[in-house]
Amino acid sequence: MFGTLTGCSVVLAVASLIVSEIIMNSKKKHYPEGAKIKKPAPVVILLAAAGVFALPLLVTIAYKLIKLVTGDKDTFVSTMKLLAQGFGFSFGIFIFTIIFSLPLGLIVAAGKMSKIKTIAAFFKAYVSILRGTPLMLQLLLVYFGPYYLFGITTGNIQIGPFNYRFIASIIGFSLNYAAYFAEIFRGGIQSMPKGQYEAAQVLGFSKSQTYFKIILPQVVKRVLPSVGNEVITLVKDTSLAQVLAVSEMFTQASALASAQVSVMPFIVAGLFYYVMNFIIELLLGLIEKSMNYYS
Amino acid sequence: MNILEMHDIHKSYNDLEVLKGIDLTVAKGEVVAVIGPSGGGKSTLLRCATILERIDSGKIVIGGDVLCDTKDEKIHYCDKKMMGEIKSKFGLVFQNFNLFPHFSVRRNITEALIHVHKKTKLEADIICDELLLKMDLVEKADAYPCNLSGGQQQRVSIARALATSPDILFFDEPTSALDPELTKGVLTVIKDLALEEMTMVIVTHEMSFARDVADRIVFMDGGVIVEEGPAYELVTNPKQERTKAFLAGY
Repeated sequence: MFGTLTGCSVVLAVASLIVSEIIMNSKKKHYPEGAKIKKPAPVVILLAAAGVFALPLLVTIAYKLIKLVTGDKDTFVSTMKLLAQGFGFSFGIFIFTIIFSLPLGLIVAAGKMSKIKTIAAFFKAYVSILRGTPLMLQLLLVYFGPYYLFGITTGNIQIGPFNYRFIASIIGFSLNYAAYFAEIFRGGIQSMPKGQYEAAQVLGFSKSQTYFKIILPQVVKRVLPSVGNEVITLVKDTSLAQVLAVSEMFTQASALASAQVSVMPFIVAGLFYYVMNFIIELLLGLIEKSMNYYS
Repeated sequence: MNILEMHDIHKSYNDLEVLKGIDLTVAKGEVVAVIGPSGGGKSTLLRCATILERIDSGKIVIGGDVLCDTKDEKIHYCDKKMMGEIKSKFGLVFQNFNLFPHFSVRRNITEALIHVHKKTKLEADIICDELLLKMDLVEKADAYPCNLSGGQQQRVSIARALATSPDILFFDEPTSALDPELTKGVLTVIKDLALEEMTMVIVTHEMSFARDVADRIVFMDGGVIVEEGPAYELVTNPKQERTKAFLAGY
Protein backbone atom coordinates (compact mmCIF):
# COMPACT_ATOMS: atom_id res chain seq x y z
CA MET A 1 0.00 0.00 0.00
CA PHE A 2 2.63 2.51 1.11
CA GLY A 3 5.03 1.23 -1.50
CA THR A 4 2.56 2.04 -4.24
CA LEU A 5 1.77 5.44 -2.77
CA THR A 6 5.44 6.35 -2.43
CA GLY A 7 6.17 5.11 -5.92
CA CYS A 8 3.34 7.14 -7.38
CA SER A 9 4.29 10.33 -5.59
CA VAL A 10 7.98 10.03 -6.44
CA VAL A 11 7.20 9.38 -10.12
CA LEU A 12 4.76 12.28 -10.19
CA ALA A 13 7.15 14.65 -8.47
CA VAL A 14 10.06 13.78 -10.75
CA ALA A 15 7.84 13.98 -13.85
CA SER A 16 6.46 17.37 -12.83
CA LEU A 17 9.94 18.72 -12.13
CA ILE A 18 11.21 17.55 -15.51
CA VAL A 19 8.20 19.01 -17.33
CA SER A 20 8.56 22.28 -15.41
CA GLU A 21 12.27 22.51 -16.27
CA ILE A 22 11.55 21.90 -19.95
CA ILE A 23 8.80 24.51 -20.05
CA MET A 24 10.82 27.04 -18.08
CA ASN A 25 13.87 26.55 -20.30
CA SER A 26 11.87 27.02 -23.46
CA LYS A 27 10.38 30.19 -21.97
CA LYS A 28 13.71 31.60 -20.79
CA LYS A 29 14.85 32.11 -24.37
CA HIS A 30 12.12 34.68 -24.93
CA TYR A 31 12.53 36.58 -21.69
CA PRO A 32 15.23 39.08 -20.76
CA GLU A 33 17.77 37.85 -18.26
CA GLY A 34 16.66 38.01 -14.63
CA ALA A 35 12.95 38.29 -15.52
CA LYS A 36 10.64 36.35 -13.24
CA ILE A 37 8.93 33.52 -15.07
CA LYS A 38 5.69 32.09 -13.67
CA LYS A 39 5.59 28.35 -13.24
CA PRO A 40 3.16 26.80 -15.74
CA ALA A 41 -0.20 25.74 -14.29
CA PRO A 42 -0.05 22.02 -15.21
CA VAL A 43 3.19 21.72 -13.31
CA VAL A 44 1.68 23.24 -10.20
CA ILE A 45 -1.19 20.77 -10.42
CA LEU A 46 1.19 17.86 -10.81
CA LEU A 47 3.25 18.99 -7.81
CA ALA A 48 0.07 19.32 -5.75
CA ALA A 49 -0.98 15.81 -6.77
CA ALA A 50 2.42 14.48 -5.72
CA GLY A 51 1.98 16.25 -2.41
CA VAL A 52 -1.45 14.65 -1.86
CA PHE A 53 0.08 11.21 -2.33
CA ALA A 54 3.13 11.96 -0.21
CA LEU A 55 1.23 13.53 2.68
CA PRO A 56 -0.30 10.36 4.18
CA LEU A 57 3.10 8.74 3.97
CA LEU A 58 4.79 11.56 5.89
CA VAL A 59 2.02 11.65 8.48
CA THR A 60 2.34 7.90 9.03
CA ILE A 61 6.09 8.12 9.48
CA ALA A 62 5.76 11.01 11.93
CA TYR A 63 3.05 9.15 13.87
CA LYS A 64 5.12 5.96 14.10
CA LEU A 65 8.17 7.93 15.26
CA ILE A 66 6.23 9.74 17.97
CA LYS A 67 4.70 6.48 19.12
CA LEU A 68 8.12 4.87 19.18
CA VAL A 69 9.56 7.69 21.25
CA THR A 70 6.71 8.29 23.70
CA GLY A 71 5.15 4.82 23.68
CA ASP A 72 6.38 4.03 27.15
CA LYS A 73 6.24 7.28 29.12
CA ASP A 74 8.43 6.18 32.04
CA THR A 75 11.17 4.81 29.82
CA PHE A 76 11.01 7.96 27.76
CA VAL A 77 11.37 10.25 30.77
CA SER A 78 14.25 8.30 32.25
CA THR A 79 15.94 8.16 28.84
CA MET A 80 15.57 11.91 28.49
CA LYS A 81 17.12 12.45 31.90
CA LEU A 82 20.14 10.27 31.18
CA LEU A 83 20.64 11.77 27.75
CA ALA A 84 20.38 15.28 29.16
CA GLN A 85 23.19 14.38 31.57
CA GLY A 86 25.21 13.03 28.67
CA PHE A 87 24.47 16.19 26.76
CA GLY A 88 26.12 18.15 29.56
CA PHE A 89 29.37 16.31 28.86
CA SER A 90 28.97 16.72 25.11
CA PHE A 91 28.40 20.41 25.57
CA GLY A 92 31.42 20.62 27.89
CA ILE A 93 33.66 19.02 25.27
CA PHE A 94 32.21 21.33 22.66
CA ILE A 95 32.64 24.58 24.55
CA PHE A 96 36.15 23.84 25.84
CA THR A 97 37.24 22.74 22.39
CA ILE A 98 35.99 25.99 20.88
CA ILE A 99 37.72 28.03 23.58
CA PHE A 100 41.08 26.31 23.03
CA SER A 101 41.06 25.51 19.33
CA LEU A 102 40.21 28.95 17.96
CA PRO A 103 43.24 30.78 19.45
CA LEU A 104 45.42 27.72 18.82
CA GLY A 105 44.26 27.76 15.20
CA LEU A 106 45.34 31.38 14.90
CA ILE A 107 48.78 30.51 16.27
CA VAL A 108 49.11 27.56 13.89
CA ALA A 109 48.03 29.76 10.96
CA ALA A 110 50.62 32.39 11.92
CA GLY A 111 53.22 29.63 12.30
CA LYS A 112 52.46 28.22 8.89
CA MET A 113 52.86 31.66 7.33
CA SER A 114 56.09 32.33 9.23
CA LYS A 115 59.06 33.56 7.23
CA ILE A 116 61.33 31.32 9.31
CA LYS A 117 61.40 28.14 7.30
CA THR A 118 61.74 25.62 10.13
CA ILE A 119 58.75 27.08 11.97
CA ALA A 120 56.66 27.09 8.80
CA ALA A 121 57.67 23.48 8.07
CA PHE A 122 56.79 22.38 11.60
CA PHE A 123 53.28 23.84 11.45
CA LYS A 124 52.81 22.58 7.92
CA ALA A 125 53.55 19.07 9.16
CA TYR A 126 51.24 19.62 12.13
CA VAL A 127 48.30 20.54 9.91
CA SER A 128 49.08 17.79 7.44
CA ILE A 129 49.17 15.06 10.09
CA LEU A 130 46.16 16.23 12.10
CA ARG A 131 44.02 16.58 9.03
CA GLY A 132 45.35 13.41 7.48
CA THR A 133 44.65 10.92 10.28
CA PRO A 134 41.34 9.91 11.88
CA LEU A 135 40.18 12.06 14.76
CA MET A 136 39.23 8.90 16.64
CA LEU A 137 42.80 7.67 16.41
CA GLN A 138 44.11 11.01 17.66
CA LEU A 139 41.76 10.84 20.65
CA LEU A 140 43.04 7.35 21.50
CA LEU A 141 46.63 8.54 21.15
CA VAL A 142 46.09 11.46 23.54
CA TYR A 143 44.44 9.15 26.04
CA PHE A 144 46.79 6.17 25.90
CA GLY A 145 49.93 7.96 24.68
CA PRO A 146 51.18 9.25 28.04
CA TYR A 147 51.24 5.72 29.49
CA TYR A 148 52.54 3.77 26.53
CA LEU A 149 55.10 6.39 25.48
CA PHE A 150 56.27 7.77 28.83
CA GLY A 151 54.89 5.39 31.42
CA ILE A 152 52.79 8.13 32.99
CA THR A 153 49.66 6.83 34.66
CA THR A 154 46.74 9.08 33.95
CA GLY A 155 44.04 7.25 35.87
CA ASN A 156 44.16 9.50 38.93
CA ILE A 157 44.50 12.81 37.12
CA GLN A 158 41.59 14.99 38.10
CA ILE A 159 41.09 18.70 37.46
CA GLY A 160 38.01 19.85 39.32
CA PRO A 161 35.15 17.63 38.23
CA PHE A 162 37.00 16.44 35.12
CA ASN A 163 38.85 13.14 34.88
CA TYR A 164 41.54 12.38 32.33
CA ARG A 165 39.10 10.79 29.89
CA PHE A 166 37.27 14.08 29.60
CA ILE A 167 40.47 16.14 29.54
CA ALA A 168 42.05 13.90 26.91
CA SER A 169 39.04 14.24 24.66
CA ILE A 170 39.21 18.04 24.93
CA ILE A 171 42.96 18.01 24.16
CA GLY A 172 42.37 15.71 21.20
CA PHE A 173 39.50 17.72 19.79
CA SER A 174 41.30 21.03 20.31
CA LEU A 175 44.49 19.89 18.57
CA ASN A 176 42.51 18.48 15.66
CA TYR A 177 40.13 21.39 15.19
CA ALA A 178 42.99 23.89 15.51
CA ALA A 179 44.44 22.37 12.33
CA TYR A 180 41.21 22.96 10.43
CA PHE A 181 40.68 26.44 11.87
CA ALA A 182 44.30 27.29 11.01
CA GLU A 183 43.68 26.59 7.34
CA ILE A 184 40.49 28.65 7.38
CA PHE A 185 42.27 31.58 9.09
CA ARG A 186 45.22 31.33 6.72
CA GLY A 187 42.87 31.49 3.75
CA GLY A 188 41.13 34.51 5.25
CA ILE A 189 44.34 36.35 6.06
CA GLN A 190 45.84 35.67 2.64
CA SER A 191 42.69 36.85 0.90
CA MET A 192 43.16 40.34 2.35
CA PRO A 193 44.19 42.82 -0.34
CA LYS A 194 47.79 44.04 -0.14
CA GLY A 195 46.52 47.63 -0.22
CA GLN A 196 45.16 47.33 3.33
CA TYR A 197 48.65 46.56 4.67
CA GLU A 198 50.18 49.33 2.55
CA ALA A 199 47.65 51.95 3.63
CA ALA A 200 48.26 51.03 7.27
CA GLN A 201 52.03 51.13 6.79
CA VAL A 202 51.99 54.56 5.15
CA LEU A 203 49.78 55.91 7.95
CA GLY A 204 52.41 54.76 10.42
CA PHE A 205 50.54 51.94 12.17
CA SER A 206 52.82 49.43 13.86
CA LYS A 207 52.74 45.80 12.78
CA SER A 208 50.59 44.70 15.71
CA GLN A 209 48.23 47.66 15.28
CA THR A 210 47.84 46.77 11.60
CA TYR A 211 47.15 43.18 12.51
CA PHE A 212 44.67 43.71 15.32
CA LYS A 213 42.91 46.87 14.14
CA ILE A 214 42.89 46.53 10.37
CA ILE A 215 43.42 42.95 9.26
CA LEU A 216 41.92 40.66 11.90
CA PRO A 217 38.48 42.33 12.16
CA GLN A 218 38.06 41.98 8.41
CA VAL A 219 39.31 38.40 8.44
CA VAL A 220 36.68 37.48 11.04
CA LYS A 221 33.95 38.51 8.65
CA ARG A 222 35.51 36.60 5.78
CA VAL A 223 36.00 33.33 7.65
CA LEU A 224 32.77 33.23 9.63
CA PRO A 225 30.80 30.96 7.24
CA SER A 226 33.63 28.40 7.12
CA VAL A 227 34.19 28.57 10.86
CA GLY A 228 30.44 28.03 11.33
CA ASN A 229 30.71 24.88 9.26
CA GLU A 230 33.41 23.49 11.53
CA VAL A 231 31.56 24.49 14.70
CA ILE A 232 28.50 22.58 13.58
CA THR A 233 30.61 19.58 12.64
CA LEU A 234 32.23 19.71 16.08
CA VAL A 235 28.85 19.38 17.81
CA LYS A 236 28.34 16.07 16.05
CA ASP A 237 31.98 15.00 16.35
CA THR A 238 31.78 15.12 20.16
CA SER A 239 30.12 11.72 19.79
CA LEU A 240 33.58 10.35 18.96
CA ALA A 241 34.51 10.76 22.63
CA GLN A 242 32.67 7.48 23.01
CA VAL A 243 35.96 5.70 22.22
CA LEU A 244 37.40 7.10 25.44
CA ALA A 245 34.30 5.98 27.35
CA VAL A 246 33.47 9.56 28.25
CA SER A 247 29.87 9.47 29.36
CA GLU A 248 28.80 12.00 26.76
CA MET A 249 25.43 11.80 25.08
CA PHE A 250 26.19 9.33 22.32
CA THR A 251 27.82 6.91 24.74
CA GLN A 252 24.70 7.12 26.89
CA ALA A 253 22.42 6.66 23.89
CA SER A 254 24.32 3.54 22.78
CA ALA A 255 24.11 2.03 26.24
CA LEU A 256 20.42 2.84 26.61
CA ALA A 257 19.61 1.55 23.12
CA SER A 258 21.14 -1.84 23.81
CA ALA A 259 19.57 -2.01 27.28
CA GLN A 260 16.11 -1.16 25.96
CA VAL A 261 16.53 -3.05 22.69
CA SER A 262 15.14 0.06 20.98
CA VAL A 263 16.33 2.78 18.63
CA MET A 264 14.37 5.36 20.62
CA PRO A 265 17.42 6.71 22.56
CA PHE A 266 19.23 7.32 19.27
CA ILE A 267 16.29 9.28 17.90
CA VAL A 268 16.15 11.42 21.03
CA ALA A 269 19.93 11.94 20.89
CA GLY A 270 19.56 12.99 17.27
CA LEU A 271 16.99 15.56 18.36
CA PHE A 272 19.40 16.93 20.97
CA TYR A 273 22.15 17.32 18.38
CA TYR A 274 19.80 18.96 15.94
CA VAL A 275 18.33 21.44 18.42
CA MET A 276 21.85 22.38 19.52
CA ASN A 277 22.94 22.96 15.95
CA PHE A 278 19.76 24.83 15.16
CA ILE A 279 20.55 27.27 17.95
CA ILE A 280 24.14 27.57 16.72
CA GLU A 281 22.87 28.35 13.23
CA LEU A 282 20.67 31.09 14.65
CA LEU A 283 23.60 32.55 16.59
CA LEU A 284 25.89 32.44 13.56
CA GLY A 285 23.19 34.18 11.55
CA LEU A 286 22.99 36.92 14.17
CA ILE A 287 26.76 37.39 14.25
CA GLU A 288 26.90 37.52 10.46
CA LYS A 289 24.11 40.08 10.43
CA SER A 290 25.93 42.21 13.00
CA MET A 291 28.88 42.44 10.59
CA ASN A 292 26.77 43.30 7.58
CA TYR A 293 27.23 47.03 8.05
CA TYR A 294 30.08 46.99 5.55
CA SER A 295 31.00 44.92 2.55
CA MET B 1 63.88 74.48 0.98
CA ASN B 2 63.51 71.06 -0.58
CA ILE B 3 60.89 68.76 0.88
CA LEU B 4 61.92 65.76 -1.19
CA GLU B 5 65.32 64.89 -2.54
CA MET B 6 65.98 61.70 -4.43
CA HIS B 7 69.47 61.11 -5.80
CA ASP B 8 70.57 58.45 -8.24
CA ILE B 9 67.83 56.00 -7.31
CA HIS B 10 68.30 52.44 -8.52
CA LYS B 11 65.72 49.74 -8.04
CA SER B 12 65.44 46.26 -9.52
CA TYR B 13 62.89 43.49 -9.21
CA ASN B 14 64.87 40.30 -9.56
CA ASP B 15 66.79 40.95 -12.78
CA LEU B 16 64.54 43.69 -14.10
CA GLU B 17 65.94 47.16 -13.49
CA VAL B 18 62.91 49.42 -13.02
CA LEU B 19 64.64 52.61 -11.91
CA LYS B 20 67.97 53.37 -13.54
CA GLY B 21 69.35 56.32 -11.63
CA ILE B 22 66.56 58.80 -10.98
CA ASP B 23 67.17 62.30 -9.62
CA LEU B 24 64.14 64.18 -8.40
CA THR B 25 63.95 67.22 -6.16
CA VAL B 26 60.73 68.83 -5.01
CA ALA B 27 60.78 72.26 -3.36
CA LYS B 28 58.35 73.41 -0.70
CA GLY B 29 55.02 74.38 -2.23
CA GLU B 30 55.87 72.88 -5.57
CA VAL B 31 53.47 70.62 -7.48
CA VAL B 32 55.21 68.05 -9.63
CA ALA B 33 53.34 65.80 -12.04
CA VAL B 34 54.97 62.57 -13.14
CA ILE B 35 53.76 61.31 -16.50
CA GLY B 36 54.78 58.55 -18.86
CA PRO B 37 53.74 55.20 -20.28
CA SER B 38 52.81 52.26 -18.08
CA GLY B 39 55.78 50.26 -16.88
CA GLY B 40 58.00 53.31 -17.10
CA GLY B 41 58.73 53.29 -13.37
CA LYS B 42 56.45 56.14 -12.22
CA SER B 43 54.60 54.13 -9.59
CA THR B 44 57.77 52.41 -8.43
CA LEU B 45 59.39 55.78 -7.87
CA LEU B 46 56.43 56.84 -5.75
CA ARG B 47 56.48 53.58 -3.81
CA CYS B 48 60.19 54.05 -3.10
CA ALA B 49 59.61 57.60 -1.85
CA THR B 50 56.82 56.37 0.46
CA ILE B 51 58.91 53.44 1.82
CA LEU B 52 56.56 50.81 0.39
CA GLU B 53 59.57 49.59 -1.58
CA ARG B 54 63.23 49.71 -0.61
CA ILE B 55 65.73 51.04 -3.14
CA ASP B 56 68.93 49.21 -4.09
CA SER B 57 71.12 52.28 -4.11
CA GLY B 58 70.83 56.05 -3.97
CA LYS B 59 69.81 58.62 -1.40
CA ILE B 60 66.39 59.83 -0.25
CA VAL B 61 65.86 62.85 1.98
CA ILE B 62 62.37 63.78 3.11
CA GLY B 63 61.75 67.02 4.94
CA GLY B 64 65.43 67.31 5.78
CA ASP B 65 65.63 63.83 7.33
CA VAL B 66 67.74 61.21 5.58
CA LEU B 67 65.63 58.15 4.91
CA CYS B 68 68.42 56.21 3.27
CA ASP B 69 71.86 56.67 1.85
CA THR B 70 74.44 54.59 0.01
CA LYS B 71 77.89 54.09 1.50
CA ASP B 72 80.50 51.78 -0.03
CA GLU B 73 77.89 50.56 -2.52
CA LYS B 74 75.61 49.41 0.30
CA ILE B 75 72.23 50.94 1.05
CA HIS B 76 71.57 52.00 4.64
CA TYR B 77 68.09 52.84 5.85
CA CYS B 78 67.52 54.92 8.97
CA ASP B 79 66.35 53.32 12.22
CA LYS B 80 62.75 52.58 13.14
CA LYS B 81 62.25 55.70 15.21
CA MET B 82 63.45 58.02 12.47
CA MET B 83 61.37 56.12 9.95
CA GLY B 84 58.27 56.71 12.06
CA GLU B 85 59.10 60.42 12.08
CA ILE B 86 59.61 60.48 8.33
CA LYS B 87 56.32 58.63 7.79
CA SER B 88 54.47 61.43 9.54
CA LYS B 89 55.94 63.90 7.03
CA PHE B 90 54.25 62.50 3.96
CA GLY B 91 50.86 61.17 2.91
CA LEU B 92 50.00 58.84 0.07
CA VAL B 93 46.78 58.63 -1.92
CA PHE B 94 46.36 55.30 -3.66
CA GLN B 95 44.87 54.59 -7.04
CA ASN B 96 42.26 52.28 -5.54
CA PHE B 97 41.77 54.28 -2.31
CA ASN B 98 42.61 51.44 0.11
CA LEU B 99 40.20 52.79 2.69
CA PHE B 100 39.52 50.55 5.66
CA PRO B 101 36.08 49.09 4.83
CA HIS B 102 35.18 48.18 8.42
CA PHE B 103 35.73 51.75 9.67
CA SER B 104 33.34 54.64 9.18
CA VAL B 105 34.58 57.64 7.22
CA ARG B 106 35.33 59.40 10.50
CA ARG B 107 37.31 56.51 11.89
CA ASN B 108 39.24 56.11 8.65
CA ILE B 109 40.45 59.67 9.09
CA THR B 110 40.96 59.75 12.86
CA GLU B 111 42.36 56.28 13.57
CA ALA B 112 45.98 57.14 12.77
CA LEU B 113 45.68 60.51 14.54
CA ILE B 114 44.58 58.82 17.75
CA HIS B 115 46.69 55.67 17.71
CA VAL B 116 49.85 56.78 15.92
CA HIS B 117 50.02 60.49 16.65
CA LYS B 118 48.52 60.18 20.13
CA LYS B 119 45.95 62.92 19.70
CA THR B 120 42.85 62.88 21.88
CA LYS B 121 39.55 61.82 20.38
CA LEU B 122 38.33 65.40 20.53
CA GLU B 123 41.38 66.83 18.75
CA ALA B 124 41.11 64.17 16.08
CA ASP B 125 37.40 64.83 15.58
CA ILE B 126 38.02 68.55 15.12
CA ILE B 127 40.67 67.85 12.47
CA CYS B 128 38.35 65.34 10.82
CA ASP B 129 35.40 67.76 10.71
CA GLU B 130 37.56 70.45 9.13
CA LEU B 131 38.80 68.07 6.45
CA LEU B 132 35.32 66.73 5.70
CA LEU B 133 34.11 70.29 5.24
CA LYS B 134 36.95 70.90 2.83
CA MET B 135 36.17 67.70 0.94
CA ASP B 136 32.45 68.50 0.86
CA LEU B 137 31.67 65.28 2.74
CA VAL B 138 30.29 66.58 6.04
CA GLU B 139 27.12 64.51 5.87
CA LYS B 140 29.13 61.32 5.17
CA ALA B 141 31.08 61.28 8.45
CA ASP B 142 29.25 58.21 9.75
CA ALA B 143 28.89 56.42 6.42
CA TYR B 144 30.99 53.39 5.50
CA PRO B 145 33.24 53.38 2.42
CA CYS B 146 31.04 50.80 0.67
CA ASN B 147 28.18 53.30 0.66
CA LEU B 148 30.19 56.02 -1.06
CA SER B 149 30.84 56.62 -4.74
CA GLY B 150 34.37 56.16 -6.04
CA GLY B 151 34.91 59.91 -6.13
CA GLN B 152 33.74 60.29 -2.55
CA GLN B 153 35.94 57.40 -1.44
CA GLN B 154 38.95 59.01 -3.07
CA ARG B 155 38.19 62.30 -1.33
CA VAL B 156 38.00 60.46 2.00
CA SER B 157 41.38 58.92 1.30
CA ILE B 158 42.79 62.37 0.52
CA ALA B 159 41.36 63.59 3.83
CA ARG B 160 42.92 60.60 5.57
CA ALA B 161 46.31 61.42 4.04
CA LEU B 162 45.96 65.09 5.00
CA ALA B 163 44.85 64.43 8.58
CA THR B 164 48.36 64.20 9.95
CA SER B 165 49.21 67.51 8.20
CA PRO B 166 52.10 66.13 6.14
CA ASP B 167 54.74 68.27 4.44
CA ILE B 168 54.25 66.49 1.15
CA LEU B 169 51.44 64.52 -0.43
CA PHE B 170 51.96 61.78 -3.01
CA PHE B 171 49.23 60.72 -5.43
CA ASP B 172 49.44 57.45 -7.34
CA GLU B 173 47.10 57.87 -10.30
CA PRO B 174 44.32 59.24 -8.07
CA THR B 175 41.65 59.24 -10.77
CA SER B 176 42.53 56.12 -12.77
CA ALA B 177 40.00 53.93 -10.94
CA LEU B 178 37.16 56.44 -11.31
CA ASP B 179 34.43 57.01 -13.87
CA PRO B 180 35.16 60.11 -15.96
CA GLU B 181 32.31 62.05 -14.35
CA LEU B 182 33.60 61.28 -10.85
CA THR B 183 37.15 62.43 -11.51
CA LYS B 184 36.14 66.07 -11.56
CA GLY B 185 35.46 66.35 -7.84
CA VAL B 186 38.76 64.70 -6.98
CA LEU B 187 40.72 66.91 -9.39
CA THR B 188 39.03 70.01 -7.95
CA VAL B 189 40.14 69.01 -4.47
CA ILE B 190 43.73 68.56 -5.66
CA LYS B 191 43.58 71.94 -7.45
CA ASP B 192 42.43 73.59 -4.23
CA LEU B 193 45.33 71.99 -2.40
CA ALA B 194 47.69 73.36 -5.05
CA LEU B 195 46.27 76.85 -4.43
CA GLU B 196 47.02 76.40 -0.72
CA GLU B 197 50.62 75.69 -1.75
CA MET B 198 50.55 72.09 -0.60
CA THR B 199 53.66 70.30 -1.82
CA MET B 200 52.54 67.45 -4.06
CA VAL B 201 53.90 64.78 -6.36
CA ILE B 202 51.21 63.41 -8.66
CA VAL B 203 51.54 60.41 -10.92
CA THR B 204 48.80 60.89 -13.46
CA HIS B 205 47.49 60.21 -16.94
CA GLU B 206 45.29 63.32 -16.90
CA MET B 207 47.46 65.42 -19.19
CA SER B 208 45.39 68.59 -19.19
CA PHE B 209 45.13 68.43 -15.43
CA ALA B 210 48.89 68.02 -15.12
CA ARG B 211 49.40 70.99 -17.42
CA ASP B 212 47.01 73.23 -15.49
CA VAL B 213 47.86 72.30 -11.92
CA ALA B 214 51.51 71.23 -11.86
CA ASP B 215 54.39 73.66 -11.70
CA ARG B 216 56.68 71.10 -13.23
CA ILE B 217 56.19 67.93 -15.21
CA VAL B 218 58.55 64.98 -15.20
CA PHE B 219 58.29 62.56 -18.10
CA MET B 220 59.52 59.06 -17.26
CA ASP B 221 60.07 56.12 -19.55
CA GLY B 222 62.18 52.98 -19.34
CA GLY B 223 63.27 53.69 -15.77
CA VAL B 224 64.82 57.09 -16.49
CA ILE B 225 63.61 60.69 -16.52
CA VAL B 226 63.50 61.47 -20.22
CA GLU B 227 62.56 65.11 -19.88
CA GLU B 228 61.41 67.55 -17.24
CA GLY B 229 60.44 71.18 -17.27
CA PRO B 230 57.78 73.77 -16.52
CA ALA B 231 54.38 72.15 -17.01
CA TYR B 232 52.95 74.27 -19.77
CA GLU B 233 56.16 74.29 -21.75
CA LEU B 234 56.71 70.53 -21.56
CA VAL B 235 53.19 69.75 -22.71
CA THR B 236 53.01 72.30 -25.50
CA ASN B 237 56.60 72.19 -26.65
CA PRO B 238 58.39 68.94 -25.73
CA LYS B 239 62.00 68.69 -26.79
CA GLN B 240 62.68 64.96 -26.76
CA GLU B 241 61.34 62.72 -29.53
CA ARG B 242 60.12 60.17 -26.96
CA THR B 243 58.11 62.83 -25.14
CA LYS B 244 56.61 64.11 -28.36
CA ALA B 245 55.55 60.60 -29.36
CA PHE B 246 53.96 60.02 -25.96
CA LEU B 247 52.10 63.33 -25.86
CA ALA B 248 50.88 62.85 -29.42
CA GLY B 249 48.73 60.04 -28.02
CA TYR B 250 46.66 62.54 -26.01
